[in-house]
Amino acid sequence: MGYELQFFYVWQNLDKLGQGLLVSLELTGLANLIGLTAGFAIALMLRARMPVLRLPATALVELFRCTPVLIQVVWFFYCVPILFNLFVDPMVMGVLALGLNLAAFNAEGYRAAIQSVPREQYDACAALGLGGWSRVRHVVLPHALRAALPVLMTNGITIFQQSALVALVAIPDLMYEGKMLATETYRPIETYTVVAAIYFAISAPISLIVQRIEARFDRVQA
Amino acid sequence: MVQDKLLKIHNLHKSYGDLDIFKGLSLAMDRGDRLVIIGPSGGGKSTLLRIVMGLEDITGGDVYLDGKPYILRDGGKTKIDHKLQARVGMVFQHYTLFPHLDILRNLTLAPVKTRGIPRAEAKAMALLERFGLAAKARAYPSQLSGGQKQRVAIARALMLDPDLLLFDEVTSALDPELVAEVEAVMMELADHGMPMMIVTHDMHFARNIASRVVFAAGGVVVEDGPPEQVLDNPQVARTREFVERVFARKK
Repeated sequence: MGYELQFFYVWQNLDKLGQGLLVSLELTGLANLIGLTAGFAIALMLRARMPVLRLPATALVELFRCTPVLIQVVWFFYCVPILFNLFVDPMVMGVLALGLNLAAFNAEGYRAAIQSVPREQYDACAALGLGGWSRVRHVVLPHALRAALPVLMTNGITIFQQSALVALVAIPDLMYEGKMLATETYRPIETYTVVAAIYFAISAPISLIVQRIEARFDRVQA
Repeated sequence: MVQDKLLKIHNLHKSYGDLDIFKGLSLAMDRGDRLVIIGPSGGGKSTLLRIVMGLEDITGGDVYLDGKPYILRDGGKTKIDHKLQARVGMVFQHYTLFPHLDILRNLTLAPVKTRGIPRAEAKAMALLERFGLAAKARAYPSQLSGGQKQRVAIARALMLDPDLLLFDEVTSALDPELVAEVEAVMMELADHGMPMMIVTHDMHFARNIASRVVFAAGGVVVEDGPPEQVLDNPQVARTREFVERVFARKK
């Protein structure tokens, strides 16, 4: 059976995919904003001695890490409004679901990075009388953030790809626009190939940058 | 009036679980002293320095600096006087420079942040100049050799004008050809009258720099005296056995 690839309709509707891409990027950007900030706060809670702080943070992280993102998105979209009588814009729900998911993964990244600060660095601080906030601000954080950067960036682009799941709850992102276009034009192969190429074109360079950064860190550590 | 000892360790006890590191170790040090501590590995030489720096909890006993209580046990906890702690400095085996800061900032970070010392940069540059490292002020630790890193670490400790400087096997991680440059810096400090407490495996260097050598084993001080005594003519059988073994290995 011969199938002739016809990209004409896709090219003609590239502006729609572009609009979808903007929505995807907006979702990714806002999710990263939540992920980077809330993730850090959760990481600090994970390290807290008081169970009141530590246990809820642990529960949140494990909930998000041990359930499919697809279910998280659907749950936020269908269950949260009913359970909490909270009816907001689907976009807000999408950002919340993806943002909290990212926060959970980033929290683990931050936590591991803080733990990776060698004990000797703390000894050096004590010997120099550097304590409290000075120690955190000038020694622990710079060290930890460097260690965490590749993980945070990787998680950040992963959420860009995961954001495709919100198409399911009718947020007009790249995936959603692609799905619409495929149905309208009866050209699913061409449409989804182009959509995949767009996701790839955004993610791949960032992935390469992460590899570069990691290689550089390895050199500096040695 | 008799001046107080610079450092006085009295009846120190330290244990990790069932393992007793110190069983009533006592040791005193004058301002003019450069103490080298020798002893079997695993005997707690480094732990002793870490305790004096205030990095370890103790199980019992007390430590005085300038006659003032510095470290003691109180209510089942180790209490450290942080004002006195600030007068002790330490150089570690693995340099422990801050990798994300250049050399100058490594030197000035603590003085500027904790003491608000003015002109810390000028002081840092003077120290780097003195140790032949002025050209490296803007370099990062990863760009330096081990010997250079260790000299920077010594300069960093000196920024806070310590009354007592502790050296924990500072040449053990170095390639043999880099040991001399670090030991030369330490000899220079010795000539300037810096009180030091040194743990080293280099017996030749120990003999050169020490005003007193302390042989610690089994959790107590076994022998304490001038290097000519402890290294060349030990009075206690246990010291003799250790020194002979160490020198036999060297030959």
